[in-house]
Amino acid sequence: MDARTLLETITSGEPALRDRALEGLLEGATSADLAGWAAELDAFRRRSENLYERVRALFFLHAIHRYHLPARLAVEGRAGAGWIPFEGFEDLLGRRFGEAIDVFLRRQTAEGPSDAISSALAAAYQRLAFQTLADQVRRSVRSVRGNQWMFRMGHPLDQPLRIRPELLQKDADGAYPILREETPVRMDLTHSAWSDIFFLGMDYPEGARVVNISVNLGVHGRDPEPRPPVSAWLRVLDEPVLRLTSVDLGATADVESLADVFDFAKDYLGLLKAAVIASGIVPPGIEGSGHSLGEVLGQVVGPGRGLEVVSSVNGIPKGSRLAVSTNLLGSLVSACMRATGQARSLTGALEESERRQVLARALLGEWLGGSGGGWQDSGGVWPGIKLITGVAAKDEDPEWGVSRGRLMPVHHVFGRDEVPESARRALQESLVVVHGGMAQNVGPILEMVTEKYLLRSGPEWRGRQEALGVLGEVVDALRRGDIRALGAATTRNFRGPLQAIIPWATNHFTEQVIARVAEAFGGDFWGFWMLGGMSGGGMGFIFEPSRKAEAQDRLLEIMVRTKREMQEGLPFAMDPVVFDYAINERGTWADVLFGADALMPRDYYALTVPTLVRRDNRSLPGVRRVELDRFGAAARNSPELRGMVQVLFDALVPRERSGRRGDESLRELLEANGFDREQHELVRRDLREGRIGLAQNRLRADARIEDVAEGDVSRWKALADDAGLRREGEAALAGGEVAVVTLSAGAGSRWTQGAGVCKALHPFCRLAGRHRTFLEVHLAKSRRVGERHGMRPLHVLTTSYLTHGPTERYLARELGGLPEVQAGEVWVSPGRSVGLRLVPMVRDLRFQWEEMPQQVLDEQQQKVRESLRAALMGWATSAGEGSDYTDNVPLQCMHPVGHFYEVPNLLRNGVLARMLRARPALRTLMLHNIDTLGADVDPVLLGWHRRSGATLGFEVIPRRLEDRGGGLARVNGQVRLVEGLAMPREEDEFGLSYYNSMTTWIDIDLWLSAMGLDRAAVLAEDGERIGAAIRDLALRLPTYVTLKDVKKRWGHGQEDVFPVAQFEKLWGDLTAIPDVRSAFVEVPRLRGQQLKDPAQLDGWLRDGSAAHVEGLGSW
Amino acid sequence: MKVDKALITAAGRGQRTLPLQTMVDRDGVQRTVLSIIIREALAAGVDRVGVVVHPGDQRAYAEAAGEHGGRVEFVEQTEPRGYGHAVWCGRGFVGAGPFLLLVGDHVYVSHRGDGCARQLVEVASREGCPVSAVQATHESKLPHFGAVGGRRVAGQPGLYEVREVLEKPTPTEAEQRLVVPGLRAGRYLCFFGMHVLTASVMERLDRRLGENGGAVHLSEILRETAAHERYLACELEGRRHDLGARYGLLNAQLGLALGGQDRDEVLSGLVELMAQRA
Repeated sequence: MDARTLLETITSGEPALRDRALEGLLEGATSADLAGWAAELDAFRRRSENLYERVRALFFLHAIHRYHLPARLAVEGRAGAGWIPFEGFEDLLGRRFGEAIDVFLRRQTAEGPSDAISSALAAAYQRLAFQTLADQVRRSVRSVRGNQWMFRMGHPLDQPLRIRPELLQKDADGAYPILREETPVRMDLTHSAWSDIFFLGMDYPEGARVVNISVNLGVHGRDPEPRPPVSAWLRVLDEPVLRLTSVDLGATADVESLADVFDFAKDYLGLLKAAVIASGIVPPGIEGSGHSLGEVLGQVVGPGRGLEVVSSVNGIPKGSRLAVSTNLLGSLVSACMRATGQARSLTGALEESERRQVLARALLGEWLGGSGGGWQDSGGVWPGIKLITGVAAKDEDPEWGVSRGRLMPVHHVFGRDEVPESARRALQESLVVVHGGMAQNVGPILEMVTEKYLLRSGPEWRGRQEALGVLGEVVDALRRGDIRALGAATTRNFRGPLQAIIPWATNHFTEQVIARVAEAFGGDFWGFWMLGGMSGGGMGFIFEPSRKAEAQDRLLEIMVRTKREMQEGLPFAMDPVVFDYAINERGTWADVLFGADALMPRDYYALTVPTLVRRDNRSLPGVRRVELDRFGAAARNSPELRGMVQVLFDALVPRERSGRRGDESLRELLEANGFDREQHELVRRDLREGRIGLAQNRLRADARIEDVAEGDVSRWKALADDAGLRREGEAALAGGEVAVVTLSAGAGSRWTQGAGVCKALHPFCRLAGRHRTFLEVHLAKSRRVGERHGMRPLHVLTTSYLTHGPTERYLARELGGLPEVQAGEVWVSPGRSVGLRLVPMVRDLRFQWEEMPQQVLDEQQQKVRESLRAALMGWATSAGEGSDYTDNVPLQCMHPVGHFYEVPNLLRNGVLARMLRARPALRTLMLHNIDTLGADVDPVLLGWHRRSGATLGFEVIPRRLEDRGGGLARVNGQVRLVEGLAMPREEDEFGLSYYNSMTTWIDIDLWLSAMGLDRAAVLAEDGERIGAAIRDLALRLPTYVTLKDVKKRWGHGQEDVFPVAQFEKLWGDLTAIPDVRSAFVEVPRLRGQQLKDPAQLDGWLRDGSAAHVEGLGSW
Repeated sequence: MKVDKALITAAGRGQRTLPLQTMVDRDGVQRTVLSIIIREALAAGVDRVGVVVHPGDQRAYAEAAGEHGGRVEFVEQTEPRGYGHAVWCGRGFVGAGPFLLLVGDHVYVSHRGDGCARQLVEVASREGCPVSAVQATHESKLPHFGAVGGRRVAGQPGLYEVREVLEKPTPTEAEQRLVVPGLRAGRYLCFFGMHVLTASVMERLDRRLGENGGAVHLSEILRETAAHERYLACELEGRRHDLGARYGLLNAQLGLALGGQDRDEVLSGLVELMAQRA
């Protein structure tokens, strides 16, 4: 094996060579081999002009640096600490990935390969690969014929579109007609292994195949019948504005300037704006031209006139995996294109060429809005059941020479001769479509799929081929109308290939629901069908037809029950729902409403009428008065508008009671959890007056931050073979001298992006045969230690107001049968301190966004982010900087005050006293984070801590790129841990070799004595003395102000994220206090690394971390 | 192929008075627009000119035809059924031979010695098939014109074999169906208002009007023609001026004057105007 073989794998047209797995090729290589091959691959990717070859080489390089080289270095004993140049990190943040790679490579050449530099190179190669892919897709979207002209148009007088004359015909009352477009959503019947990711479709067109059905939907039990779930409405206005209304998101605005049209995140109207732009009414080329929106609209609709565009979603929740938003965009684009003559027919169905144009424009709109769906997602624009396939690029295509396939797939709509009516009926009689309610972020999964595809990893590549076979079976079953066979095929797809490619396609909730359905329906449950990127949201269950009605009710009951059981550990955006659906055989469809029928969707009026009626009747334009009249008449006569009067009344006079109730429960909760109002007011004052804040978190600018010196840190490698240490540790374990403290107070804000669930209870991964929560993993490790040493260590879970109840319930309900729980060896230590979040200071928002290094996003996403940030600063000002944050569910308004308090709480709440009574020999605590899964009570490390004589023994790990947030340093000569937010200069962190794993060995007696306490005081539970000692210690620690992203949920699964201010005191700062003696030990990465983000899971599974943790536990 | 007849359409709504306007032609002589157009046709070698007019307009037009009145025949379009129908009304006049078709609201300024119509008739006579004059036009003007797509005829600059014809296309359609290799981005071959058509086109019009009681666009018929027989488009060395456009008359007059014997006089007048404005 040599570098040539790797290059041949990339360049060969022969499938047998091209489809070889990278792992196989690298087997048995030494670190020197790998470094040499990486250099050749890097040279190759620089000289190759073929985009596909460049991207594949980049992914090979990523894999070598992420998985192979570090492992080799470790085996060869060379995985010591290294430094990552800050300059390269800055390049990474600025999306200058090529430059970052050069910087990292120079360091590698100078100092040899290291774990640290490989982590940086892995990240840079991966980001460059995805950037290259994204650029390619975007270029293709722009270069699709029919899209190009919009980028050339830079002056209103160049605007060639004109409104259809039919839409300018006013009726006798002076009202314009309304164009209404109704569009189904799409269900993906085959889930062809994510082959609808654009890059896959464009690189492997022969493998990009899906069967996709257009459906009407209704919520079972709520809606009388399934209807096209999304609709777009358009009419001419006699004002030169763009009036945009999203009925589903409850937002409406008159857009009056071009700049506002291109400001996607200013309000909830981004999708409508994207549609207006992508349809060419306000073409993308005119952005920043300095002209007025009125001029552009004047060209299209006539001088002094404007347009109103309204979107509506029939109450279908977000995350349904039915591509609701892409189809809504398609619907809006279609309406705008019809209205401007870009489709031949103003009403009825679209022609095939027009549907393709709508697809091209919807892709453009998604790109403009900074989002991105798959290429099958606009499927609702087409009718019925269709096979969508990738197409190889030909020489007349813009993609020719750039990618193997075209951007746009082709749609073959199955006729009745291919899928007979009976089969369509049979499918509808058997399939139950649901939304499980889980909140999900599919983005990381799509990246994983792309990466694995390019690496051709054996099991995944076989899975992909197998999934293609399943598609054939599904189509065949459809043709025959054999729904039982179809169910078997989709189930096999889910169980086999999909999970071989992405284990995270499933989760504990889905598995539990499937198991319960199978138990309830036995042989009448014909199969499970995964609807989209991942399960837990939109899903399908296939039943024997006679039991479908029963299954709909039963499924709802099963899902709701399962959700109730798991919602404290798994993030749910809403309660599960069951849908009614029907195949839509028309595709997107438009009609024009005239005269008395020219009314907008029902909820449009709930949104707009209250504002109108508050205005003086005389100041209303005549057309508005006519419309109100018509709406009034319709509300009296039309059954569809029944109940509107009540809705309007509620909108005019909002009920206040529920708000007050929320305030009350927040107050009660604060009181119950030891909220200190006096302290809170002090913090508020300091914050408002600028004494504390993000800038003030930092150490003085003249602080000298240096890396630790030889001798400051003990090394695991040197300790591991010390039999004496091991014996000492083993004896302490056998004597019951050790307890484990697991920090379980957190809501895992990164893990669930602020969803506010209990991270400890998240069943994050399948270990030893089933999904396990973080908590189960930690208990399994203590169990194994017990089995080895004859005595299980006591295990304490420190909780907070967020996690206490859920943790206790979980222990009782799920883990009650565990031996350590039954033996009373698992303790819960409730938090005794809580803070109330504050609306942030604009000053701090600016500091965070403008003065701290930021990841620059790609051009379009960056624009969206900037506009969002401007909106959030506006929110902070209008809500009142530094005022209490109470506009959310109470639990999201409160915050834990930092992990420093966790150990003192053991004293305050009496748990330590009880532990000492239960095990008088108890002398050492091992404290660790919930996500440090490799930490176990290791006898050698215990022996090391004992022998060091230190109060606190901290475990540190050699830093990798992702280990951000401080580290071990010499600060003005003193060895201590420094938090990231205290670093005076960002670059200081990059000069530090070690990152704090947070795992701390605590000598109880030394710790008590440092606080001026002793065992007797603890056992006496002298609250006053203990409280005073804790306060004294806390005063010696800095108070940090941090900004946290908090989710606010509303509507049908919609979520907003707000940055709010909170303060905290942190455990690592104890190392700065001279009379608390601290010692530091370097431990292997597998022991000290933390699992912070679900996107890390796949790497964690692949790099052997999961297997390592499995080996530490007794299951 | 010999083209000896020309047909001028002047019955369109909003267009009827334009041919009656008076302008100063390239030779410095005052003439009506109709007379200028008839001279363009005669210079192309045709013997007889037919003018399609709205009922009742004949007398004014006959006067406007001036000295050429003897070579002109008038045909009435009795119902407004589109441009295709107006052309069809002239079928009796043109008979079975090829004919030059002009519109009554355009004047043409050639950039060389012979007129635009003559250039077109020469091409049609040489190629023996229908030919439309076209001009590469910016996409922002698409709402005003019919446009063609096709490919260049090898070795004959400015000559195209037409594959597709669309009436007032949106840029979206134009980009998908009318892109002609070799033209600048965002430019399309739009009609110049001047065609040489054959009997086959008249037959197609006849058929279509028989099937359809509504309006018929000539573009539809030309698209059908392109699908069934050789049909060419030709870029001429000259410029068209649409009198119906905003400032159309002014621009046309300036075009004629600046391309003729009074160029210096008009130019100095313009410079004087600009100097005063400054």
